[in-house]
Amino acid sequence: MSYQKIGVVAAIVLCVFCAPIVYADPATVARLTPLKKEPATDAETVAELEENTAVETGERRGGWIQVKTSTAATGWAKFLALRFAGSGTARAGGDSVAQLFNVARGGTSGSQVTTGVRGLDAEDISGAQPNAAALQTMDGYAVSADEAGRFAAAGPLQAQSVDYPSEE
Amino acid sequence: MKRLLLLICLCGLISGTAQAQFNLDINRLIDTAKSIGQASTEIDEAGEIEIGRDVAARLLGAAPLHPNRDLQRYVNDVGRWLASQTERAELPWRFAVLDAPQVNAFATPGGFIFVTGGLVARMKTEAELAGVLSHEIVHVLRKHHLQAIQKGALANVASNVVALAVQDRNSALRNRLVSFGTELYVRGLDKTDELEADRLGVVIAARGGYDPWGLPVVLQTLQSISPDDSAVALMFATHPPPTERLDALEQRMLPVLDAYAAQPKLADRFLARLSAPR
Repeated sequence: MSYQKIGVVAAIVLCVFCAPIVYADPATVARLTPLKKEPATDAETVAELEENTAVETGERRGGWIQVKTSTAATGWAKFLALRFAGSGTARAGGDSVAQLFNVARGGTSGSQVTTGVRGLDAEDISGAQPNAAALQTMDGYAVSADEAGRFAAAGPLQAQSVDYPSEE
Repeated sequence: MKRLLLLICLCGLISGTAQAQFNLDINRLIDTAKSIGQASTEIDEAGEIEIGRDVAARLLGAAPLHPNRDLQRYVNDVGRWLASQTERAELPWRFAVLDAPQVNAFATPGGFIFVTGGLVARMKTEAELAGVLSHEIVHVLRKHHLQAIQKGALANVASNVVALAVQDRNSALRNRLVSFGTELYVRGLDKTDELEADRLGVVIAARGGYDPWGLPVVLQTLQSISPDDSAVALMFATHPPPTERLDALEQRMLPVLDAYAAQPKLADRFLARLSAPR
């Protein structure tokens, strides 16, 4: 490996470690809540966030999310103490996931926009006639427990033993 | 002998031509069944699956399957893995994405689970998908819809009539039973059933090795959607408000599941599988 290549690799490694935290999603504080230095209840409190404070948020870890205030104070706040005004908006057009769900599709049936025409409002369900062919197609998508196990291992996902809560 | 009597009643009902006569006949039939006595007949697993298939076929009549096969397989992979972590792992579990812009998810008896494209489009990680599927899986595990059907108009008065409707796929009574079952998705379940599905759902997601916060994240997303948005009208009408569901989870479940909060969210796999339809 040349020095130049080593330099490039080193630069990449450094970049990964020094990558600035991205605070991408705006949120509002829904109830008075402490801003913590670390994502833990017993961590040092950096500030108290008042109700209705506007903040920017970054990575979520369990019940904690990275927060940056308008005065550039940073730390961790309780995820459920925040409200995310824009998160419920469906993705915009350019995104490839949006294309999967929203955009006109080509293919054998032509290129009609298929969403937003009919669907699952109350009257659609009440008036629905059975579609046996679609049910058969759905049967064809089923996977076996073994296949699902291989899919999970690739995640990687590891099964855990967790009890249901006791009944009240 | 009782069964024979009921069958005779049923035959009379089916051969009757006047539609206006239908309700009257049903009432008479129910009275007859009542007088015969309450031979309490639980719907067995085979019957549960059959009714679930019929109701699923109705939902598929309301909205088509999403045309992307890879997406459908992916949702089945996630769902089947989660179902494998439960006490009813051997049911013929089936999962599907419905091609509809509304934000919703449904389960029918016997293990048929649906999630709308409108909801999947608002998710960012596989853990969120797992959270929603786990909630629906609990409806099947705890037979929430099946019990609501049994408790419903027909079942309350004559469980043995219900048993006959389960047995005879082509009877008019069966049609009524399935219509009643389908209408549950418009009327909604009891609030206690929904909150139970949340509580046990986060446990199933944790069992599957996911960050159990997937469902709470989705509930946060739902909370941010304006109730005036028609995409959420039916879902909001049939479920407790997201805030109430989050409060209930925060009090009882999330502290317990903190130990699993570092489990994978699998955002990358989710986006890759949704972005690269083959």
